[in-house]
Amino acid sequence: MHIPDGYLSPATCTALYASSAPFWYVALQRVKKTLHTRLVPLLSLFAAFSFVIMMFNLPLPGGTTGHAVGIGLAAVVLGPWAAMLAVSVAIVIQALFFGDGGITAIGANCFNMAIIGALVSYAVYRLLAGRSAILSFRRVVAAGLAGYVAINVSALLAAIEFGIQPLLYRDATGAPLYCPYPLSVAIPAMMLGHLTIAGLAELVVSAGVVAFIQKSDPSLLKSTAGRGIALTEPTERAGAGSLRPLWVGLCLLMILTPLGILAAGSAWGEWMASDYSNPAIRQKMAQSSFQQPAPQRAPEGLERLSSLWTAPFVRYAPPYVTSAAFGYLLSAMFGAGLVMLASLAVGRFIRAQSYDSEERAA
Amino acid sequence: MTLFEADCLTYSYERLTALDQLTLSIPEGSRAALLGANGSGKSTLLRLLDGLYFGQSGAVRFRGDELTEDLFAHDDFALEFRREVGLVFQNPDVQLFNPTVFDEVAFSPLQLRWPKAEIRERVDEILSRLRIFHLKDRVPHRLSGGEKKRVALASVLVLDPAVLLLDEPTAALDPRSQSQLIDLLVEWGGGAKSVITATHDLRDLGDIADRCYVLDCGRLVAEARPEEILRDSELLQRTNLVHAHRHRHASGAMHSHPHTHSDGA
Amino acid sequence: MSGFHSHKRGGLIEHTIEGLYLAMERALHAETSAGGAGLLQRLDPRVKVAGLFALILASALATRLWVIAAVFALAILLAAFSLISFRMLAGRVWIGALTFTAAIAIPAVFLTPGVPVFHLPGLNWTITAQGLTTAGYLILRVETAATLALLLIFTTPWMHVLKALRIFRVPVVFVVILGMTCRYILLMLQTAHEMFESRKSRTVGTMTASEQRRMAVSSASVLLTKTFQLSGDVYLAMLSRGFRGEVYLLDDFQMKPLDWTAAIAFMSLTAAAVWAGR
Repeated sequence: MHIPDGYLSPATCTALYASSAPFWYVALQRVKKTLHTRLVPLLSLFAAFSFVIMMFNLPLPGGTTGHAVGIGLAAVVLGPWAAMLAVSVAIVIQALFFGDGGITAIGANCFNMAIIGALVSYAVYRLLAGRSAILSFRRVVAAGLAGYVAINVSALLAAIEFGIQPLLYRDATGAPLYCPYPLSVAIPAMMLGHLTIAGLAELVVSAGVVAFIQKSDPSLLKSTAGRGIALTEPTERAGAGSLRPLWVGLCLLMILTPLGILAAGSAWGEWMASDYSNPAIRQKMAQSSFQQPAPQRAPEGLERLSSLWTAPFVRYAPPYVTSAAFGYLLSAMFGAGLVMLASLAVGRFIRAQSYDSEERAA
Repeated sequence: MTLFEADCLTYSYERLTALDQLTLSIPEGSRAALLGANGSGKSTLLRLLDGLYFGQSGAVRFRGDELTEDLFAHDDFALEFRREVGLVFQNPDVQLFNPTVFDEVAFSPLQLRWPKAEIRERVDEILSRLRIFHLKDRVPHRLSGGEKKRVALASVLVLDPAVLLLDEPTAALDPRSQSQLIDLLVEWGGGAKSVITATHDLRDLGDIADRCYVLDCGRLVAEARPEEILRDSELLQRTNLVHAHRHRHASGAMHSHPHTHSDGA
Repeated sequence: MSGFHSHKRGGLIEHTIEGLYLAMERALHAETSAGGAGLLQRLDPRVKVAGLFALILASALATRLWVIAAVFALAILLAAFSLISFRMLAGRVWIGALTFTAAIAIPAVFLTPGVPVFHLPGLNWTITAQGLTTAGYLILRVETAATLALLLIFTTPWMHVLKALRIFRVPVVFVVILGMTCRYILLMLQTAHEMFESRKSRTVGTMTASEQRRMAVSSASVLLTKTFQLSGDVYLAMLSRGFRGEVYLLDDFQMKPLDWTAAIAFMSLTAAAVWAGR
């Protein structure tokens, strides 16, 4: 999501500009070393491509539409440093010229989406693709997941940046000056949409385009594949058998991710200072903490922080967040839904891939 | 004096051989046409002559100097060569990569580190000369085909090069723009200036060239004056510069003869 | 702006085409407007970039609503003097920003703790003064920043905006890349537009969601291939014109008396706004 002006304090914006600057500098040095004089036309054209991709409406299961940033694709095709720069350029132009995203927030948007997004995407892609062949299906899955994870990490960062605003920046009457939603609201609100819709859009674009260029122009994938990677697997049957452990691992990852992130608002650990003197709750604490008895009093730090954090909000925060049961239900639903969706998408790709293998073998 | 010389030049990319032991020689001050159908290798040859590609075997020589990557690594040679030789690409989206017309024409002198005041003067002058001064701040994207071509020409002529290389200059232009372009080229050329045009369009050949080099499948198959080439219909057909199709007359007789269509198809 | 919204399936291609078209049309509009005869059009681009950014910053720093409102009023005044139509501003900036921000701000009206001001009977929700203030901050800041940004773009040729960024120490290579990107965005927008249009014209009835998805992905892939191909050719064209790796810029900006006056005016107004809003 492109953060507009007015949601982040100038201090936060400055901090994020300052955090982005060293990455931009390092990226420029590295890209100059690998691309030399080609960097100007390549970055410019890729930034233009990136900009246009961000405008595509992607229909997703459930009747919704999403937009992809294309950071997964950029990192897979260009590598992290060039991707970082190209997407930053696209973000600057969107903000400056097309008014999409704030001008004070350019640093924040670049940091979340272009910089961290590119690094995470590249890391996940290399990790999951391993040394598999350039034309292998595993790379398609790796690219898709790289995009998915990257966009969710970006969203998480944005959510954190939003969530700390009401904590730190209030006017004389106590009204939040910038984003008014605390972490307990900002994180679920941002992550819900990104884990499901925006994340899927990113997955579809990354995986879909990589699958496409595997057939049309596989040389585009060479530069990020690592050294000595073959074009095709020497003796590969049409996918399914050898990939099963990978699937299982990936499905687990997908189930765990939303659980892990939603745990920021989940029941364990979200006890108020006053809960420590409530015997019923103390028993629950002990049960969920491997029968360790809860301390008699709330830890000092918790007491201090809780008055800062929870006192004004506990009566006003939306009910669905503080109810533990609902939180768990949400996670389970999303986990299951994601597994279903992922299986559908992956299944479709496998079918397409096995047709290709048959054709090539014939 | 020999301007360009190709000596057993071979260039291939991705398993495709574009030029196959090509040998030719273009004298200084000539107006030459490289004739050939699409895929005959003429665009590739132009890029080799401009020192953008380097052959896998054989040599390209410019006024006696063999063009190699090492040679272009030297600033003094490279800057001088870039000033002397200008190439106008066929696709305006490739040739026009700056955000405005003014920036486009100013790009070359800027890269060659001319003084800024002189650049501004020279750019204005060439824009006026090509009658596109009013387009100075326009975005290249929205110009018409003829305007784009004139901007492309201006961006190269601003340096006043001694050699002008043109890749299919009249492609995708309407008839009036085509004739205007030809007039411009004729006006500019002459004297010590050399013009080498790659084209498959046989019209106006006499205007733009006094020597033709016919390429086919990456090899030189003929070198002669335009009138001689145009008379040799067997050659023209063989190299796919004209085509013949059969047609039937009302009387039932069928025959074919070589021709080109008036729109160059 | 954000990543998600619902749509009828059939309208998706139309939506993308429309979005692409609007983007191109905005670029055209900005170009015509920048050639107009208004006040801002006459100023040096560096003064505008620095001045308008400073005002955006002032509206971001303010901790009082009336200060932000004052900066917004100033922006409107500048628009009037620069012959920018309010109707255009409303259509391009104000309405869009309002609906989007209101959607985000409205829950805050109820959720922000503080002095209750109004009580919604049926739902048992309370509107607080602080909630209203926060919503006010959000909406006003977004509107002000968006208006000022539009003023910059619609009164200054794009390349001048980019060249003026040099006063913020943006490296030359980035300015050149930004300029080239803009030039090719228009080309890519048009190519994508044509691809979608031609696909749509060959389709009878509406496409299913998966067909649309496949089309979006294949269009993206075609564009990607074109990107690499073009970048290779453009590189050759740059080499041919003498590019050796260092990029150079030509800018003729010269400060006239009017520019100095404007610069001083911008700085004093910004200083006043920052001081009043602290």
